Amino acid sequence: MKLATYRKKSPWILHYNAGGCNGCDIEILACLAPKYDIERFGMINTGNPKQSDILLVTGPVTKRSRERLVEIYAQMPEPKVVVACGACASTGGVFRGMYNCEGGVDQFIPVDVYVCGCGTRPEQIIDGVVQALAILEQKNKDMEASVRLNTQPIAEDEQLNRRHVAASITPTPTV
Amino acid sequence: MESLLAGLVGLPLAVSLLLLILPRQLAKWMVIAAAIILSILSVFAYANTNSAVGITLPHYINEVVAGADLLLLLFFGWIAIKRKSILVGLLTMLQLGGLVYLLNNMPATAAPQLMVDELSAFMFILINVISGIIAIYSLRYIEEEPCSPFRKKYFLSIIFWFIGAMNLVVCADNLEYFFLFFELTTLASFLLISFRQDAESRANAITALWMNQVGGLAILGAIFFLLRSGSGEASFSNLLALAPAGGLLLPLALLSMAALIKGAQLPFSSWLLGAMVAPTPVSALLHSSTMVKIAPFMILRLSPALKDTPLASAIIALTAFVFIAAAVGALAQDNFKRILAHSTIALLALMIMMGALGTPVTVVASLALMLFHGISKSMLFLNAGILERVFHLKNTSDMDRLGESGPFTALVTTIGFMSLLLPPFGAFIGKWLSIETLGSYAVDARLLGAFTLIAVVCGSAVLTLLYTKVIGLLIARSGEHDRVQFEKTGKTYTGTIYALLALIALSIFGLPLLLTHFFAPVAAAASAQDVTVMIKGWSIFVDTMKLPVLPPLIAFFLLPAAIIAAMFIHFRHVDRTREYMCGEKVNYSFSSFYLTADKATPYAITIGVVLFGALLVAALI
Amino acid sequence: MSHTFIAIILIILAPFLGGLVYGLERVIRARMQRRIGPPVLQPFYDFLKLADKRRMVVHSAHAFLGIMHFVSLWYALGVFLLGGDLILVIFLHLLYTALIILAGYSTRSIFSHLGANRTALSIIAYEPVLILIAVSMYMITGSFEASAAFHHPQPLLYKMPLAFVALLLVLPIKLKKSPFDVAEAHQEVTGGVELEFSGIYYEAVYTAKWLDYIFSYTLVYLFAGSNILLGIGLMLFTFIYLNALDNATARVNYKQMLRFSLGVSFSLAFINLLINSLS
Ligand code: SF4
Repeated sequence: MKLATYRKKSPWILHYNAGGCNGCDIEILACLAPKYDIERFGMINTGNPKQSDILLVTGPVTKRSRERLVEIYAQMPEPKVVVACGACASTGGVFRGMYNCEGGVDQFIPVDVYVCGCGTRPEQIIDGVVQALAILEQKNKDMEASVRLNTQPIAEDEQLNRRHVAASITPTPTV
Repeated sequence: MESLLAGLVGLPLAVSLLLLILPRQLAKWMVIAAAIILSILSVFAYANTNSAVGITLPHYINEVVAGADLLLLLFFGWIAIKRKSILVGLLTMLQLGGLVYLLNNMPATAAPQLMVDELSAFMFILINVISGIIAIYSLRYIEEEPCSPFRKKYFLSIIFWFIGAMNLVVCADNLEYFFLFFELTTLASFLLISFRQDAESRANAITALWMNQVGGLAILGAIFFLLRSGSGEASFSNLLALAPAGGLLLPLALLSMAALIKGAQLPFSSWLLGAMVAPTPVSALLHSSTMVKIAPFMILRLSPALKDTPLASAIIALTAFVFIAAAVGALAQDNFKRILAHSTIALLALMIMMGALGTPVTVVASLALMLFHGISKSMLFLNAGILERVFHLKNTSDMDRLGESGPFTALVTTIGFMSLLLPPFGAFIGKWLSIETLGSYAVDARLLGAFTLIAVVCGSAVLTLLYTKVIGLLIARSGEHDRVQFEKTGKTYTGTIYALLALIALSIFGLPLLLTHFFAPVAAAASAQDVTVMIKGWSIFVDTMKLPVLPPLIAFFLLPAAIIAAMFIHFRHVDRTREYMCGEKVNYSFSSFYLTADKATPYAITIGVVLFGALLVAALI
Repeated sequence: MSHTFIAIILIILAPFLGGLVYGLERVIRARMQRRIGPPVLQPFYDFLKLADKRRMVVHSAHAFLGIMHFVSLWYALGVFLLGGDLILVIFLHLLYTALIILAGYSTRSIFSHLGANRTALSIIAYEPVLILIAVSMYMITGSFEASAAFHHPQPLLYKMPLAFVALLLVLPIKLKKSPFDVAEAHQEVTGGVELEFSGIYYEAVYTAKWLDYIFSYTLVYLFAGSNILLGIGLMLFTFIYLNALDNATARVNYKQMLRFSLGVSFSLAFINLLINSLS
């Protein structure tokens, strides 16, 4: 059955702050409020990876949050897209190169759409999400492995055990 | 009949004596054999009972009974001195005085002292089958008890003695005999509760003793007033024959009070709760097949006389209150056995209420509840023992990992709870019958009826919630344990549990047959009116009430079957994922909520006392 | 016969109708906040999308209980609409809620547990009121059958207005609307018991919510007796009322909810019952 067109009409959002300054988060929340009203696209902020299609990540990935990020990403069922909101999430932004930061989100999970701006504007976010919808519509790819913190998911017959995707923090050698 | 009765009484008493002497291995086989023989005898006794059979005992037995009465009271007196309990002493003195007075004034009669009717035969089955299973279970349980080998034998011995005494209680007709047997069960429970011999057991045993002695005193009072009203001998059959006469309400009220105390209704509920300190088979015995079941039994015995009297209304009001109070009280508990105890009190209240209403439907409901509650509760208590012995768990809040370490026990406990709650298990049918009858009672008796109905329905809702809460802890697992692997707990444990599971299965599949061929005749005999139970098409007709069978039957597949299946089901080709904890990877332990009802307890007891007083007032006016 | 026929049609269409109600509700709520809001058919888009996601469970028992929750809810609704015994219906209703609570307890997830606990508490809050309403109806119609209420010539509303008010006060708890939405509380416990379901398994729980709408509105309809117009009026009124309330109030905590429900709603229904039983 071709249900893909409907998928585009009901993207549920999970919003995760990987260590940003909260600027972008406030903009995201503004999108949900009456002025920008992204519920008209059928979006709901679920706050729950298991029922979400779009992961909106803000902020650079700090060392404390990288495992959580991968874990949350692993808990989202496919198809799913990741939108990196703001300069931090895209590249590390003003925090790039700091002792506690790892840089952009794409170091750990595959990112589909990058939204620029420090704080990114609601219009940009909406634009990014709408672009993400197009990707979501095509996307039906398998579970992606984490790029750096990777342990391959254990596959028994056709099922994946995602319980141990994000490995625990081992001191990474400093570059 | 006489020989069967002799077997039912003689065998447990003989076993009880032999157990003390025989070596361990032999004793074990004897217990198993005795349990099986007793169950068979009780079924035979039921099959052979078509009407009330009076059994006249030789004259010298009267003397023996009087002597035994006095000996028993002397023993109580000795306990009072040894344990320095003024209350027990005082009650013993009162009982002694009353007894001596009555013995001197008792008119000599040639009426049969014992009487076996369908109700007694029903009780025989309940007592012997379930207690037999519990006795077998205790073989293993008591092995692990830290006490001397002699005390282990002694424990089993008292259990059989208890069974013998219970068999006597349910067939006594003469009230003086009844008093003796009643107090014999009190004594047996006293000895069992104080078995562990620590300070707490002793204190609780004394509480159980004095509370039940109040019941004994009430029986003596009943005999006294019955004799004084000049209505002939003091026996149940005479009381029922004279029932419509007005002056009899006082003895009836006193007998009902004795029943309510035995049944641990509210102001006197603490003895049953205190009995938890004893080894678990004792609780199983007290709660399911013996002791507390005397209460609904007595009320059912008296129900033709009680029916439609102000006394019955008072009993109904009291039990309605106890039902909801005990249900809420159960929600306030964390200890597994205490939860069970509270739910026993609640359900006993329901059985007593149904007995007091005395219509055909309610009597059937009461009988169904008695039997099915007996089966389910004994199973739950046996599981409580296993939890304690094998898994070292006492509180429900610690049980959240049981589904992983002991899935079999968890599953069986879940089934036990569901059999008290869900359609189409027998207990549900009992409750349903009760609620439907209370509906018409609500229209007839208006305010009291409406109050009762609300109490029962809300109480049931609270109990449902309670069972849900416990079942929820029992089925909890982490995603790592998707496939269950049943644990082994030992032959005796598993065997007895399987026996009870079989009985529960019987209560589901045999329910239509049980209703028409088992409960209906017994109810007819107990309520002294015709009880018609018919099955037509997809409905069961109990008297004038029509119960559709289909909805509960479908509900069975949706609810209990679903919960049981949830234990086994395993989806393939589906990813497994971690629980959502904001990305954290921590394994949490869980307990469950419970209310704190400590503040309410004194009020509940006060209301209980007031309603208990209302019983007497209702009898006097 | 035609009544049974309509009932069967309603039962079969129940998830669809419930979805529509939910869709309308989202639109109305958006309009009340001067937003445009999603399309009316939005719940069905969600439905189709959820069906298409990769399957994922925490453990099988959990997912299975969620599905059984939906099935038994549909069954309870069926018994209700076919005019079954009200006590049985309320009992079944309690049990299907128990199933979702059990599902919540069966995982080792904090939010699921919190949600299950809160759902259990909300049952304590509204169940007694429903029971009182059933009993009062019995007092008037002389039967526990729901069909007796459906066919009662005079609307029950006239004889039990206070009970209707009580029902209006507990419906937000049942439908998890503000101010009594502690059980779901997206901002606190991220959906409570629903949290761990995903994809097609969440679909069962999501659709069960739609069925719950039909269940609740049927409860409202009971008050109209055989007067269909009044019934529709009552349902419309309830619909507007619920959404206005949901938009206008903030969440109270569970203690306040219990106190309010058992104090105010319960007393209202009880006073109504007293009046009925004395007259
Ligand atoms: S991009 Fe700018 S506004 Fe956004 S989180 Fe980073 S620093 Fe803050």
